[in-house]
Amino acid sequence: MSAVTATQGTGTATGTGTGRRRRSAWIQRRDRRGIWFVVPFLVGFVLFMIVPLVYAIYTSLYTTKIIGGTVFSGASNYTQTLQSSQFWSGVVRVIIYAAIQIPVMLAIAFFFACVFDLGVAKFGRTFRTIFFIPFAVPAVVGAVMWSFLLEPQFGPMVHLANAFGFSGTNFFSPSLILPSIIVIVIWEWTGYNMVILYTALKSVPRDVVEAAILDDTPLWRIILRIKLPLVRPAIVLLVFLNTIGALQLFTEPLILSYFETGSVSVNYTPTLYLYNTAIAADQTNLAAAGAVILGLVIVVISTASLLFRRRRGEFR
Amino acid sequence: MSVSTVQPPAPGPAPVSDETARPETRRERRKRERLEEQESTIPVELYGLRRGTVSLLTTLAFLFAIFTLVPIAWIVINSTKTQANIFETFGFWFASPFSFFHNFSLLFQNVDGYGTYIQWFGNTALYAVIGGGGATVLSAFAGYGFSRFSFRSSKVLFYLTLGALLVPITALTLPLYLTYAKAHLINSIWGMILPSMISPVGIYLMKVYTDISVPRELIDAARIDGGGEARIFFRVALPLMVPGLMTVLLISVVAVWNNYFLPLLIFNVNTKYPLTVGLGLWSERAQNSGNAQLFPMVVIGGLVTIVPLIALFLLLQRYWRGGLLLGSIAN
Repeated sequence: MSAVTATQGTGTATGTGTGRRRRSAWIQRRDRRGIWFVVPFLVGFVLFMIVPLVYAIYTSLYTTKIIGGTVFSGASNYTQTLQSSQFWSGVVRVIIYAAIQIPVMLAIAFFFACVFDLGVAKFGRTFRTIFFIPFAVPAVVGAVMWSFLLEPQFGPMVHLANAFGFSGTNFFSPSLILPSIIVIVIWEWTGYNMVILYTALKSVPRDVVEAAILDDTPLWRIILRIKLPLVRPAIVLLVFLNTIGALQLFTEPLILSYFETGSVSVNYTPTLYLYNTAIAADQTNLAAAGAVILGLVIVVISTASLLFRRRRGEFR
Repeated sequence: MSVSTVQPPAPGPAPVSDETARPETRRERRKRERLEEQESTIPVELYGLRRGTVSLLTTLAFLFAIFTLVPIAWIVINSTKTQANIFETFGFWFASPFSFFHNFSLLFQNVDGYGTYIQWFGNTALYAVIGGGGATVLSAFAGYGFSRFSFRSSKVLFYLTLGALLVPITALTLPLYLTYAKAHLINSIWGMILPSMISPVGIYLMKVYTDISVPRELIDAARIDGGGEARIFFRVALPLMVPGLMTVLLISVVAVWNNYFLPLLIFNVNTKYPLTVGLGLWSERAQNSGNAQLFPMVVIGGLVTIVPLIALFLLLQRYWRGGLLLGSIAN
């Protein structure tokens, strides 16, 4: 290394060094004040998220008995939950539900997002607005409306099914209750997913598509080979969000069970199981352990699905 | 003027805005948006589609639109029916007698002792406005703090906030209920409102939005001019954050309005219920306790619950879209 460069190097380094040190002192003093903007949120965050979580873990380690009061019982609530077939049947059911509901919904959402993005259907703006409306409907009201429509004795959908030759259709029967729930959730969430995919598609550069058109690429190929890979991040995000939502399925089956007693068992989904354990059976310690397990299961599954999709995206 | 003097607000008439600075009217904005959309869309003819494809796709979209509107049409039509007609007449057409106003009046009465709809409506509005408003205020402060300052462990705290998004609502709500049971906060409205103010999504959206819309240089310039941090936040940053805040406000208000699990757990007197829990209770009682006269009330109650939200959504559509856009950018 020549002397000249060395000197220059040192000179520059010293210059920026002092500059940075002087600036950083100013910045540090200024930046420290920033915490006051965050403190109000942090206080609430600790009080209403951290404290309850810690308390739930603490509670889950105890057992309340009719005779003898509350005693430390270590991991026994956890082993009891993990060995409970009721808990696991719910977990398996929501996994099956998610594996059907999410791909179907995302396929519909992606299809219409493409159609509206390409402008190959008329009245695109109006349709987009209509599709999004169910997002503004509370899940309780959505489930109530669909319960009336599907109700076995009087529901118009049953009449419709009869008219098409499917006599004796019962949407609340054990074989059709899960498909009914899937239809309700698809009704609630397709528009939201469609709008996110539509927004992502809008950001695909126009010249790429134009070049493909000039090469006489068929439209379906443009969609599958150019647009789909470019919106993969948005799809990953949606798979992730929908997975977390699906595994917590609660409101729709509960409301359906109000309309047809016995159509949905008390342990139909893990959340229903926890709800009934905590409230109906009043076994709060057991429910706390269940909540901790469910939280961990969902964090693991959703993180894994996120990582898996990411990796696949990278290797392609 | 000496430095210590506080500058009074500029007196006199507001400056006359010139033609270019005039805010565009709603019609102008719609027209501009439509033009922009037309410009960014490649003309359909260029795709070389077979004849009839556009009609076919429009038909498919039309069918899905019908699927979307069927339950809403049903609830509108059946809000005008008597209890007997809800079950005995064709679901997608009107039947006499026209009983809408009678049904509506029932919402102001405590018919079977299970609670009064109008009270639940008031509760929901209270929880949604204070909870959603609080979430927006906290998100504005914290989002700005995380975006424009790097204090000790700010990164860690931000990632901790994001991590909370991973934890399912169930695994957060049930512990909350257990804590309330211990702290004697069951049936306290603050047990509903305060947790609603803690919105990790809101914090995240406001952090991203501030990154994009509040230039660092502007904040630094204001600091050199000698503004205090609070003053800079309220005078310089906050006005630039308003569109993002509208989005967070809408998302938070709707989240509280639609919340079911938390109020279901923590309230056991029907005077505290929000609409979701009240309507759930009515449906259950109507079916299982022989209180069939509750059915028309469930129907009209459901309608009155969704009307404000759909109106809010249609009026403020562009803020919704803004929020969704933010969500997809962030990935």
